[in-house]
Amino acid sequence: MQKRISILAVSVLSLFIIALIGCAGGGAVGALQFYANGEDFVRQGFVSKDGWSINFDHVYITLADITAYQTDPPYDPHSGSNIEGKVEVGLDKVYTVDLAEGGTDASPIRVGEVQNTPAGHYNAISWEMVKASSGPASGYSLVIIGTAEKDGQSIDFNIKVDEEYGYDCGEFVGDERKGIVKEGGAADVEMTFHFDHIFGDAETPMDDELNVGAVGFEPFAGIAEGGKLDVDMAELQAKLSAKDYQMLVDILPTLGHVGEGHCHCH
Amino acid sequence: MVNTKWKFIIPLVLLLILGISTTAYAHGAKIDYTVNMTIDIFAQYDTGEPMGGAQVVVYAPDDPSNPWLTGVCDDEGRFSFTPDTSKPGTWSIQVRQSGHGDIVHIPIGEDTAVAGSTGGYTILQIVVMAVCGIWGFVGTALYFSRRRA
Repeated sequence: MQKRISILAVSVLSLFIIALIGCAGGGAVGALQFYANGEDFVRQGFVSKDGWSINFDHVYITLADITAYQTDPPYDPHSGSNIEGKVEVGLDKVYTVDLAEGGTDASPIRVGEVQNTPAGHYNAISWEMVKASSGPASGYSLVIIGTAEKDGQSIDFNIKVDEEYGYDCGEFVGDERKGIVKEGGAADVEMTFHFDHIFGDAETPMDDELNVGAVGFEPFAGIAEGGKLDVDMAELQAKLSAKDYQMLVDILPTLGHVGEGHCHCH
Repeated sequence: MVNTKWKFIIPLVLLLILGISTTAYAHGAKIDYTVNMTIDIFAQYDTGEPMGGAQVVVYAPDDPSNPWLTGVCDDEGRFSFTPDTSKPGTWSIQVRQSGHGDIVHIPIGEDTAVAGSTGGYTILQIVVMAVCGIWGFVGTALYFSRRRA
């Protein structure tokens, strides 16, 4: 009798432990999609702070180490610290995307997707902007190709940037909240690039910080030859004024955002 | 002659009856209170210029997908609201204007949340408690099933 009771007790306990372990190993999962967005500035063009009407044929940007995080407390990009996430999911490849792809009404560019992502709020994201090893942007982290027009003058430009940047960003700020993965559902996070920071925006007051810090297009027009401009950073340093080149160097790291939300660039 | 013990029991019962609370009509006072916390937001651009008229969206911790409150900053870039303290956790306030925006996260009622939620036992703790409980039953069963000398 005693032996039977002991065996029964051990069996019950074993089943209980197995059930607990089984429950602890599982969890709600969904999918997380990663997007890159040059906004309407890239898709539809805009007028620079100095009156040049700019339209983009291609804006190639190369992205690596793209990672989304669940952070608690939420990551503050103003702190300048590294992101410490309770959960991290990411894309394991290097991606060269064309932010101008698809025309004027195109959606943001889908970079990749992670399946079986733990559910929760992915409220931080990081990525590296790196030099492409192949493809149309080979050797450069950013290639901007388009046409600028003003007062009957037209310039075809191809501006190539080989600087590499890393971005640690907080939560997306926009019309809707992003990154909330629910069980069996999908959510998205976005890497946003503000190209009005480089050329300024005629629809923004000239004394706005955006335009004050922007290079504009006039300096680029000034070094074009025969209506064409094909330059990399070394050539820009040689041809632009020291002030304009320094403004460009200072403004390029500010391209990365999360919607209107901020990033820390390193 | 009355049993001695009733000399103690009867007074005790009478005291018990008299001790039952009844409504007392007197000149007393009663104070009820609630604690309301107000959050004041001051939004400004990097230049220090206030974000007058900026759009504000408040998200409560129990529903991060849908706005709990929307509003507009005043001309000085200020906005105030009273969060629902029955929803402890991180409240998020988003402010946007003219292509600029930011979001701030404010923990509210964390202590209350910790006290109220309890739980959170680890797997090891649960196993230890289960072992103790099961052994208690086993031990009892073994005791009653022992062979008597």
